[in-house]
Amino acid sequence: MICKELAYMLADYFNGSMDARLREELDDHLSRCEPCAAFTKTYQAVADRTHSLRRHIEYEIPPEVSKRLEAFIHAAALKYPEKVREYRDQVERDRREKVADLVRAATAGKLSSATALLVESHCAACPECGGYLAALRETGTTQAGDPPEGIRSHLIALMQTLPPGEEFFLA
Amino acid sequence: MSAERWKDDEALLESIRKGVPGAADELLRLYQGKIFNLAMSILKNESDAEEAAQDVFMTVIRKADTFQGNSAFYSWIYRICVNTCLMRLRGKRRNETVSIEEFMPVFTDEGMHASPMDDWSKEVERDALNEELGRMIRKYTEELSEKYRVVFVLSDVEGLSNEETARILGLTVPAIKSRLHRARLYLREQLSRYLREGKAG
Repeated sequence: MICKELAYMLADYFNGSMDARLREELDDHLSRCEPCAAFTKTYQAVADRTHSLRRHIEYEIPPEVSKRLEAFIHAAALKYPEKVREYRDQVERDRREKVADLVRAATAGKLSSATALLVESHCAACPECGGYLAALRETGTTQAGDPPEGIRSHLIALMQTLPPGEEFFLA
Repeated sequence: MSAERWKDDEALLESIRKGVPGAADELLRLYQGKIFNLAMSILKNESDAEEAAQDVFMTVIRKADTFQGNSAFYSWIYRICVNTCLMRLRGKRRNETVSIEEFMPVFTDEGMHASPMDDWSKEVERDALNEELGRMIRKYTEELSEKYRVVFVLSDVEGLSNEETARILGLTVPAIKSRLHRARLYLREQLSRYLREGKAG
């Protein structure tokens, strides 16, 4: 092994990925070559000491940068939950409207056949929903408001079993 | 990271999710120094580091919902920072080709050391030189081209394993090893000169 080869291979030597025979050869060269021994020790010093030497020399954040960052994030953080709330409210409103549509269509007998089947089989098994829809049909109300929470959650679950894009109204 | 610290981070994230007043300030108080320092190490430029820090904290706030408690919060925010900085570098990347010879000592035609080598490895152990050497390492790190600097910062400055660095940068472990080797050779060479000249003067 010559000095130049050794310099190329040092990384493997230290991270343990060098095969045993090559390592032996390298150790042998190191024991006989003073410049390579010094080179290797100083290389290792860089690898070993950088982390601890740099830890105390950090880039300090300038006060004005810190202030700007605080103002920026403050505004952003205040806006963020508002946006999430707006989004959740919108989703909730959409759902309520859909359920109201479904109830209206069910009362007026205007459900698509697939949806009607779903609703019927659900109502047969669920006295709560069955009773609610039956009462609406009896009174002939087509302007039903929001159903109670329990029924609404059942109907939402029911709508979610419809294939995507499936309209529950009759055309 | 201690269990207590981890619990604190969890609680802090929960407050951010809920938009508790002051939660974002607390997040900044704890992490802005670290994040700015890391961004500076990679970007070397104060206004770039400032913008990167803004992006990092925005991302943390926006993604507070999606944080999976299975990794430490610190490593999560850390990764966000590295990725943010890399995105910024990508925009201004130049074609950098540096020959390994520039990082190497001078060899004779036979491949032997052309000049005697000074062994200063004991000197860098002296506490009295800690600050000075830390500053010099920082300076020489800035001189490295991006390709080597980012690897050196993550591996040797921040202390990540080659595997972690490879994962973050999307490179192979052998590629990381080879870049890290060159960066160390350069640092070694520069420190050699610095210590030799320091002694002469």
